[in-house]
Amino acid sequence: MPASAIIDGARAQNRKLLSEIEAKQLLAEAGIPVSPARLATTAADAAKVAAELGFPVVLKVVSPQITHKSDVDGVELNIGSQDEARAAFDRIVASAKKHQPNATIEGVAVQRMERPGIEVIVGVTKDPQFGPVLMFGLGGVLVEILKDVAFRIIPIEPRDARQIVREIKGYPLLEGYRGAPPADVAGLEALLLKLSAFIEAHPEIAELDLNPVFAYADGCIAVDARIVLE
Amino acid sequence: MSDETSARRLARALAPKTVAVVGARRADGYMWLRNNSTFTGKLYSVQIDPNEIPGIEALGVPNYTSLLDVPDDIDYCVVAVPRPVAPRIVADCAKKRVAGVALFTSGFAETGEEEGIRLQAELGRIAREGDLNLIGPNCMGLYNRRLGVRQSAEQAAGEGGAVGFISQSGTHAINLGLVGEQHGVRVSTSVSIGNAIILDVPDYLDYLADDAETKVIAMYVEGVKDGRRFVRALRDAAAKKPVVVWKGGTTDAGARAMASHTGSLAAPMAVFSAAVRQCGALAADSLDDTIDVCKALLYAKPGKGTRMGLMAMTGGQSVVITDAFVNAGLDVPRLSPASYEQLASFFNIIGGSYQNPLDMGGTIGFGAAPGTLERLFGILDADENVDAIAMEMASGFLVRMWQSNPASLDGLIDTLAKHQERSAKPFVAVLQPGHVEEVTVQARKRVQDRGLAVFPSFERAARALRRAVQYHRFRSGMG
Repeated sequence: MPASAIIDGARAQNRKLLSEIEAKQLLAEAGIPVSPARLATTAADAAKVAAELGFPVVLKVVSPQITHKSDVDGVELNIGSQDEARAAFDRIVASAKKHQPNATIEGVAVQRMERPGIEVIVGVTKDPQFGPVLMFGLGGVLVEILKDVAFRIIPIEPRDARQIVREIKGYPLLEGYRGAPPADVAGLEALLLKLSAFIEAHPEIAELDLNPVFAYADGCIAVDARIVLE
Repeated sequence: MSDETSARRLARALAPKTVAVVGARRADGYMWLRNNSTFTGKLYSVQIDPNEIPGIEALGVPNYTSLLDVPDDIDYCVVAVPRPVAPRIVADCAKKRVAGVALFTSGFAETGEEEGIRLQAELGRIAREGDLNLIGPNCMGLYNRRLGVRQSAEQAAGEGGAVGFISQSGTHAINLGLVGEQHGVRVSTSVSIGNAIILDVPDYLDYLADDAETKVIAMYVEGVKDGRRFVRALRDAAAKKPVVVWKGGTTDAGARAMASHTGSLAAPMAVFSAAVRQCGALAADSLDDTIDVCKALLYAKPGKGTRMGLMAMTGGQSVVITDAFVNAGLDVPRLSPASYEQLASFFNIIGGSYQNPLDMGGTIGFGAAPGTLERLFGILDADENVDAIAMEMASGFLVRMWQSNPASLDGLIDTLAKHQERSAKPFVAVLQPGHVEEVTVQARKRVQDRGLAVFPSFERAARALRRAVQYHRFRSGMG
């Protein structure tokens, strides 16, 4: 489905929050590396999709009413086989129904369980004066506790991408701390530049979060994505 | 005349040939007539109150009872009338096709009260409908040093300066002119923009970016109204010449004070700082800091390298000058083998050292061979590991000598000036106020009069030079 159709579809349903599947589809089309997620509506479907994506996989509940999926035990990691995928599907749906009986459960998103990398976060918010602003930081507790993030006004240039990555205090982690291989910083910079262009092309996007993005020695991938429309 | 663009009219207002003051009065000591007593063009007064007119005419300024009666085109008009009258005078300015009007009158949106907000909206409407360049309200207007148009009678007039200043505060506009003067940083054109309901930072930035007299632009801003437009103008200006941005209201409490000052909205500081950096502008955090950065940009040679060669007189000073430059984000590397070889042949290492910094008190002090300091400069200048040079002028040791024999400073200044002439590397000098400030302040002025960038502390020298370097790096696509 083209980007405009996804956004129009959400609008037609009066939805501001895109599903993770929709968000990732938009981002993938823009050339931003994301771990694709596909919707499974039955346990058998989940097993089939999982096999196509390749094990291990992650299953997450899909419901417009459920924003914090782990609060309803709606996320299962490291699913290693089709049997496990079927069982996990049933558990997730049952648990979500139990926690939020009124929620519409559309199904379960199946995505590859990406190999762990250095966690970074990338976000876009709209400043009332400066318009869309890009944020970059290290993920996990580092962003929560230390607020180690840097900003740039969108659109950014290659120089800005270079600087924003290096401006955070945790940059040495990306350079390869204590013998760890250095992260593909050029890949992160490319992601930021593509994201800037994507936001410019879609002024109707109010907020965007890629959290986390896994940075590897060779490339990077957004594991989770959230897009909110105006 | 109606075909003249707003930007062209603003250019005429900021470099006026005719100035009118509306509302001059005895009660404030004819402040605006006195501020403009140095004006080189034709000065007019507009005052309707018969009790005030004789006092105005006694100052030698022709008075008219209506702006429309002034038998001349008016380039710049300062309006200092009571608030309720302001809309009528602004309407007269539009009718008269005045090129630019600064409204000193305050009591508008910045008060937060209904009547002030209503009157400000009315001023905006009149100015927009009349296509009028309105500066302010709630502002101190214009300072053009060369033409003698001033914001305060304290400000100097005469020869033009090199720094264009845009200020959301009248006080800071005046003070940058006054304090900058003490540091060899002279204003070309400065504008106090007040509530900026018509003309705003981007309009003035566009003008200063193309003003040949202005070599460096600086500004004091608390908040901006249209961030996207601000960013565009800042980026365009910074591509032409250095722009220093001093932001006020950076703390939550400061932001509260700001809301009642000019009624600006605050973007989060991190976002504002990012915008400044992204545009290639330089952030400053106080009046002194702004002046320091301008000084480094105006006086030191342009340089992109971050590696310092440091010269101090003692071991203790060598340590702290190093800390200051490293803390500012510059590097203090080892010198090249060739430099060490040369230094080893004459440097006095008893009570000194030459790692970098050169701890040189024992080498250039009493009894040193003439030309030793020149030789040290020559070595650092030739060293490929050194991009820029900073030197402590040892006021602690020398101030009593400078006091008893002022000419004794001349030789040292001469050596520094000759080094700067010869060398392509940025050079900054540090002359600490020390224990006899009345002498060191005079000494500093003599140093800067020779065109040297001299600072009262290592930290100020280092932070100023760092941003000058940052500018030249940005311009060349680095950093």
